[in-house]
Amino acid sequence: MSALLSLSGLNRRFGGLAAVSDFSLALESGIVTALVGPNGAGKTTIFNLVTGNLRADSGQILLHDKPIIGLSPHRIARLGIARSFQDLRLFGHMSVLDNVRAATEPTSWFWQAGGAAARQQRRERVETALERTGLSGLTQARAIDLAYAERKFLSMARIIATGARIWLLDEPASGLDPRSRAQFVDLLRSATAEGVTVCLIEHNLDIVTEVADRIAFLDQGRKLAEGEPADIMQDKALAAIYFGDRT
Amino acid sequence: MIAYLVNLATLTTIFAVLATSLNILIGYGGIFSIAQAVFFGVGAYAAAQVALHVTPDLLVASAAGAGAAALLSICLALPALRVRDEYFVIASLGLQMLAVTVFTEATPITGGFGGLVGIPPASLLGLPLTDPNAMLAACLGFLVLVLVLTRVLMRGSFGRSLMAIRDNDTAAEALGKNVMVLKTLAVMLGCAYAGIGGALYSAQMQFINVESFTLDQSVLIMAMVIIGGTGTLIGPLVGTVLILLLPAALSFIPGIPPTEIGVVQQMIYGLVMTLLMIFRPGGLVTLRTRRQ
Ligand SMILES: Nc1ncnc2c1ncn2[C@@H]1O[C@H](COP(=O)(O)OP(=O)(O)OP(=O)(O)O)[C@@H](O)[C@H]1O
Ligand SMILES: [Mg+2]
Repeated sequence: MSALLSLSGLNRRFGGLAAVSDFSLALESGIVTALVGPNGAGKTTIFNLVTGNLRADSGQILLHDKPIIGLSPHRIARLGIARSFQDLRLFGHMSVLDNVRAATEPTSWFWQAGGAAARQQRRERVETALERTGLSGLTQARAIDLAYAERKFLSMARIIATGARIWLLDEPASGLDPRSRAQFVDLLRSATAEGVTVCLIEHNLDIVTEVADRIAFLDQGRKLAEGEPADIMQDKALAAIYFGDRT
Repeated sequence: MIAYLVNLATLTTIFAVLATSLNILIGYGGIFSIAQAVFFGVGAYAAAQVALHVTPDLLVASAAGAGAAALLSICLALPALRVRDEYFVIASLGLQMLAVTVFTEATPITGGFGGLVGIPPASLLGLPLTDPNAMLAACLGFLVLVLVLTRVLMRGSFGRSLMAIRDNDTAAEALGKNVMVLKTLAVMLGCAYAGIGGALYSAQMQFINVESFTLDQSVLIMAMVIIGGTGTLIGPLVGTVLILLLPAALSFIPGIPPTEIGVVQQMIYGLVMTLLMIFRPGGLVTLRTRRQ
């Protein structure tokens, strides 16, 4: 079976810094893959390469076996790849409801295509997204007025509402309290149960062990290891790199 | 006195259309342009030419003004929106300066520095608008149309997309929004409104020249939007009324010599803008923060 999204031999330099070097990864349908590695390892850069926010110096990215390198970010998004941002990037002055509704309206015209049936479908997606993220009671609040955890869930609600089948999540659970974290894990589980493919950047190894089916370990732009969580977690050399510059 | 007030009301209505037009760019699109008077001017000249040579009908003249302004705005939007936001401001300033020269030199179309005179009184669907009250009513009608259209569009997906881009363009792109196309549409819509404002202005004044379409005018329109409040329907209207009525109100205050009114006015605008930016950056009228 070929991968849903496959990255192969990706390179990206910033001046003299090799942010991503010869990186390859295959995302399989319905599987949660975690990108783990110390700060500056190149994790976010990989997301930016996939979503078209940055262009790879070399390498190939295939979605359903078709190359997507060179497409603009909005085109890649419309192909069904949704992402979250490390710094969330909510629409601060818009209401929670409008943040989520905006995620269901990609048509660049004065109105959306599809008429009443499509409108009904969008409304249902918005409702589902709000329910699953527990934001149904806050629809009229402005995004900038939300509490930290609520903001994180709003960023997830936007992704759910897009209807995308591939999610790239950049530290979605960082800083969450235990209860919200459990809620987040549930959210992820129900999405993958429906066949959503997830690539997750996460520093908290507890969450990684809890939700990830596979782990790719990165350091200085290179993939050092990839495999089942149990195997990666037991690797002492990786642990030394991961915790080395912190403790 | 009544004639004076009706004229003031008509001009206020026309400037309310202009402030609404710039609000589409600044308030909803986050696109800072200081060239709104250019599109006001292009609309006015186009409408005046139509009135002089084709028909005095205000609908036709407005359509011509809106069309001409929207068309020209593409020339600003396409190159300028590709670059970063700061450059758009510079590009629009450049266009403003260029346009004043063109307005002054393109004598066959604009009448040069002397302007276009003898623009015939407008009519609307065959009804003459020679009566100042009728003209005021017509302008109010256009303002209401513009406001209704703005409300419908800004409450809909187009407005949401624009505001999303304003708040964070990278995130908007990641949700599939074509930022270039949406911003260009916003610029075209806003400039079309300005063109309508120009058409109404030329019909009201029956004389136009370049002095109404200078950088000063662009700054004045911007002040209306920023003082009144960006991104709301009402804000720019409040700003327009305040700014246009201020000089009139000042002239009633004893002790200010008429020759000094301009200076006092400038000081008040400047002070108000500065204070607003410090204490109420969203303008006088801001959205209520609702939290259930
Ligand atoms: N646009 C850019 N221009 C220059 N350097 C960049 C840019 N983006 C990232 N970098 C650099 O590339 C390296 C990898 O950054 P990246 O953000 O991908 O790391 P990360 O693994 O996401 O780290 P973190 O865990 O801190 O988020 C870093 O050294 C960073 O400074
Ligand atoms: Mg990162």
